[in-house]
Amino acid sequence: MNLIVFTKRVPATQEEELRITGEGKAVDLSKVPFKVNDWDNYSVEEAVRIVEKSGGTATAVSIGDAESDEVLRRAIAMGAKDGLLLETGDVFHDPNVRATLIHNFLKKENLPFDAIFTGVQSEDDQFGAVGGILAAKLGLPFVSMVIGIDTVESDHLIVRRELEGGLQERVKVMLPCVISIQTGINEPRYVSIMGIRKASKVERKVYKAADYQDSMKSKIEIIKWVYPPKKAGAKILSGELESACKELLGILKEKGVYQ
Amino acid sequence: MSYALIVAEVRRGLFEERNLDSIGICSLLEKDPIMLIPESDYSVNWEALSGVIKVKIEETQFLNPLNMVNILGKVIGKRGKPDVIIFTNSASGAELAAYTAGYFDLPIITDVSNYDKEQGVFYKSYYSDKIFGEFKPSGDGSFIITVRSGSFKEYVTENGTTPSIETIEDITASPVRTFMEYVEEEKTDVDITKADFLLSLGRGIGNKDEIPSYEELAGLLKAVISGSRPVIDKMWLPKARQVGTSGKTVKPKVYLAMGISGAFQHIAGMKDSDCIIAVNKDPEAPIFQYANYGIVADIHKVRDKLKDILKA
Ligand SMILES: Cc1cc2nc3c(=O)[nH]c(=O)nc-3n(C[C@H](O)[C@H](O)[C@H](O)COP(=O)(O)OP(=O)(O)OC[C@H]3O[C@@H](n4cnc5c(N)ncnc54)[C@H](O)[C@@H]3O)c2cc1C
Ligand SMILES: Nc1ncnc2c1ncn2[C@@H]1O[C@H](COP(=O)(O)O)[C@@H](O)[C@H]1O
Repeated sequence: MNLIVFTKRVPATQEEELRITGEGKAVDLSKVPFKVNDWDNYSVEEAVRIVEKSGGTATAVSIGDAESDEVLRRAIAMGAKDGLLLETGDVFHDPNVRATLIHNFLKKENLPFDAIFTGVQSEDDQFGAVGGILAAKLGLPFVSMVIGIDTVESDHLIVRRELEGGLQERVKVMLPCVISIQTGINEPRYVSIMGIRKASKVERKVYKAADYQDSMKSKIEIIKWVYPPKKAGAKILSGELESACKELLGILKEKGVYQ
Repeated sequence: MSYALIVAEVRRGLFEERNLDSIGICSLLEKDPIMLIPESDYSVNWEALSGVIKVKIEETQFLNPLNMVNILGKVIGKRGKPDVIIFTNSASGAELAAYTAGYFDLPIITDVSNYDKEQGVFYKSYYSDKIFGEFKPSGDGSFIITVRSGSFKEYVTENGTTPSIETIEDITASPVRTFMEYVEEEKTDVDITKADFLLSLGRGIGNKDEIPSYEELAGLLKAVISGSRPVIDKMWLPKARQVGTSGKTVKPKVYLAMGISGAFQHIAGMKDSDCIIAVNKDPEAPIFQYANYGIVADIHKVRDKLKDILKA
């Protein structure tokens, strides 16, 4: 089985204070650390496991600036055979643009594959759309929210997709196909700094995104960035930790859940 | 004709409540809401719709993106392109929307939680709700949106008239993706939906080794432990403890969230708790917008301090 797996480098914004600059023109990410997109980490792991079990290769692909080489090295350290970078200094917010770029690239380079794996969503833009758009452009079947791959055959997969409230559905999908992987499908292996350093010895191929930009006009416009609408918000228990904690216990007593 | 096409989300005979958000946004968009739905006995707010297009197809086939594009092709052939196609932002809505956008080459904006009528811009979450982008589809052709549940249902208006009804049939089911069966979650002994007091742990706890110490705190407080998705994904807690859209919906008297940022998929599962208390070291964490009380601090320090006080 030859698998192409997408991996994206994203800012780890969970614990950072984000500032909008230029009256809504940009979000300042200059001091934010970057990491692999959580969903893609699970997706690379799943691709590598399939290849380890039934042969073939996993090829990792990323779109981004030269720094994205980092997530490709990481994918190689996990077991991907190759890492391909579609290099661009631009950030394409529109998922249609990213899917078109990938589509053009796969066609022009004629990369062979049995299945393409993406993550369900990017942590930063949360579009959750690149996999589905790409599948339709390629004329291939698509399944998203994949939380289990039960059967791998030469012409089809049987997968479980996650719905709401703990419910799943089992779906049969013919190959080649595009699937989007949900977190929790597996336990991604640990990657050491040593492992990543070793992976650096495998040459990563760099392609210029500009060479694949046919019909890549953005279909949506970003007008500006804004902070979330403020609701009333929480009453913050401030002061010394001791007094805040005592106040918290007081609230628990008042609500009748703690005596 | 100018209209908004709403793709209904139905599951095992139920018309999902989040469809109301799809109907509600039509009032803001000032478009006639026409709903696409499988032909079956669903309990729907018919009077809030201008029209209904019933599709003679099995529900599980309707929710399959490879069939949905054929259904939409027929709708467009019959009544022209809609101004906007609206999906829920759920596991199925998101899957259908993305594939439809690619198939018909349409602009797509997902996870829309607000709409500014004056400027015609859609608000879309970025960075787990820390920033929002104001987006507009380019040009004035059809476009696709998915709407965040709970965002627009207040705008639903029932005009007291029955909607027009059309029927679509002869949809050939795709052989390349087929539904096999539903798989239910295993039953477990602890039911977090029954607890009065939940101590809920998020990725902020850092690693699995911290769990026993929070269990000890839960023991002292007589609270039941639950968690956000990453904690369950990493298998630090069992799946039955997950709060959120793909886990459980809980309404305890007190929901004490420690190290949880407040992504909407999590909020959707706990926002109706009587009292929400959040502990997070990031004062900008979105969860503070939904909480009644908050402590901005390191959760481990709060845990240790609470234990000290309780043991004293
Ligand atoms: C289809 C789909 C379904 C989903 N379903 C669910 C679901 O059912 N339930 C769910 O929860 N999520 C769900 N998610 C995931 C959701 O989008 C978020 O990724 C997730 O809720 C984030 O969990 P978290 O808040 O624990 O982690 P993070 O977002 O990483 O937040 C961790 C928080 O901990 C804080 N923190 C870190 N260290 C400390 C410290 N020492 N002291 C104090 N604070 C600290 C940080 O400031 C941060 O705010 C779903 C996503 C998708 C796409
Ligand atoms: N710049 C990128 N580089 C590599 N993969 C990407 C990129 N953007 C999106 N993807 C893939 O598409 C998935 C969904 O992204 P999105 O539609 O942005 O939420 C991600 O999990 C990735 O697998």
